[in-house]
Amino acid sequence: MSDKSVLMFPRPKSDTPGLAKPGSMLLTQGALMALGAAALIVLPFLVTGYVLYIANLLLVFIVLCLGLHLVIGETGQFALAHAAFYGIGIYTSGLAGNALGWPFPLSMLLAGLVAGAVGLVIGAVALRMRDIYLALATFAFGEAMQWVFLNWDQVTGGPNGLRISPARLGSLEVLTDRQAYPVVVIVALLMIVLTVVISRSRLGRSFRAVRESDVAAMAMGIPVRRAKITAFGLSAFYAGIAGSMFATFSTYIHPDSLGFQTTILVLTMVVVGGLGSITGAVGGAIVFGLISEFLRQTPSYQEIIYGLILIVFMMYAPRGLFAFVRDLMGRMARG
Amino acid sequence: MAENLLEVTDLTVRFGGLTAVNKFDIAVQRGTIHALIGPNGAGKSTTFNCISRFYEPTAGRILLNGVDVTRSPASAMAGLGVARTFQNLELFGELTVFENVMIGAHVHAGRSWADALSARPSGVVDHIEHLLQRTGLTAYRNTVARNLDFGHQKLLELARALAIRPRLLLLDEPAAGLRNREIAALDALLTDLCRREGITILLVEHVMQLVMAISDRVTVLNFGTKIAEGTPDEVRNDPSVIEAYLGQEMVHA
Repeated sequence: MSDKSVLMFPRPKSDTPGLAKPGSMLLTQGALMALGAAALIVLPFLVTGYVLYIANLLLVFIVLCLGLHLVIGETGQFALAHAAFYGIGIYTSGLAGNALGWPFPLSMLLAGLVAGAVGLVIGAVALRMRDIYLALATFAFGEAMQWVFLNWDQVTGGPNGLRISPARLGSLEVLTDRQAYPVVVIVALLMIVLTVVISRSRLGRSFRAVRESDVAAMAMGIPVRRAKITAFGLSAFYAGIAGSMFATFSTYIHPDSLGFQTTILVLTMVVVGGLGSITGAVGGAIVFGLISEFLRQTPSYQEIIYGLILIVFMMYAPRGLFAFVRDLMGRMARG
Repeated sequence: MAENLLEVTDLTVRFGGLTAVNKFDIAVQRGTIHALIGPNGAGKSTTFNCISRFYEPTAGRILLNGVDVTRSPASAMAGLGVARTFQNLELFGELTVFENVMIGAHVHAGRSWADALSARPSGVVDHIEHLLQRTGLTAYRNTVARNLDFGHQKLLELARALAIRPRLLLLDEPAAGLRNREIAALDALLTDLCRREGITILLVEHVMQLVMAISDRVTVLNFGTKIAEGTPDEVRNDPSVIEAYLGQEMVHA
């Protein structure tokens, strides 16, 4: 047993992303994915509406995390305005449904595109800066957007919040979490697939090149600024789509939930899951989303526990939960 | 087709009050190995970084195959067939050897949508395998670049530059820090690249053993000004060069 396991886990500490995995690992991976898919399909038949609401919320967080993963994990640009783009997505799709009566697939797409377009404009300005300056500039934009959400009464309802009318498609109306669930699942899966495709592609390679060394990337013919702006715009698009997903099962949005706290929550998910890996982003969203839901009853402890979790991970598992578990399993298998 | 692949005229670079390079001319003939040497602080790297378009020259003109590239962005140079390495290694440290070289092929990897979306674009993958083999990196293909030893990191930078399929290869101190055996291998590799594949090479180098062995022509800079130019033998015996290197030993090949 132990001999075989050594072959299955050929890496001690040094990570080798992109390492061709032995067949047996691929098989387990396939089995895991099949299991996950089965769970997603049977879930609505087994659980209550509340659990489905949580599932919907987790799926929204997954898409938010994937977006932040693209800009921070893949491209290495510390952008901290994710909640703003999420808000733009929620309001855009909500208003397209409320005021224009658009069918939800269209309003979802619009939400992504509007958020993405704003992201491109902001990115073109903010990405002249780097590191802490970029973080601060995008933070400032996030705060400004929250102010806009709070004060643009005619459009967002201001401090009263906005009632979102049920998502529609022809005569179909999405009235419950259970009805929204298939839509949310399908969109989340599409976004995961899109992320994998981008990550494997020439574009994804150029993102990672920029993250690792922008001078070398330039020498390889990669227009560095354009790559950064593209990543930022894509990340905003993801946040916009996540917002529109939220709007399919939620009836109400208030600017309070679109502040810096939400950005930090998503950032924590991505870091705890494992910066730079798609599995990490998805896993982080699920694990940390659940934790945050369990702590909802005790909001004062919530912040403290977030902080503790983040510190513990930074100290003991800086490469994230999943890399940590993988290493642990490897070590156990070797005995 | 211009006779000289690279022609730099009147290149001047000033940093504030300091003139790093002063009215410097160099013409690199197609299919040759041309070395740029000089004592520390002579302006070699500044010149090199102007040619690869990482620095903005204060004045002067840079012609690549007769086309003015003086104001071209650095990221346009790979597409024009100009590849470079870095004096202090600039690898994509957290990525594998294979992915490093794959990114080198960036300008060739987007010929079709299928290629642009693929992790192993069919148009470039064979060439990358060939380059890995040639630089002796095949066994390390899945190793993360920062875990390689120094010699292999240098080779990886070279392989990555070659993935651009350059007609002009700019090498910034390729032999620095290498052991003698590794320098001999580099010597053979560079000679082969130039003679068999017709890649024109311009290198900045301090290791005279390499410069004198492989160069067709040598240009000597001192205090930002050209003080000599010629074959390795001519330069070696030039009194002004000997004076510039006074106190420094010129290692003869």
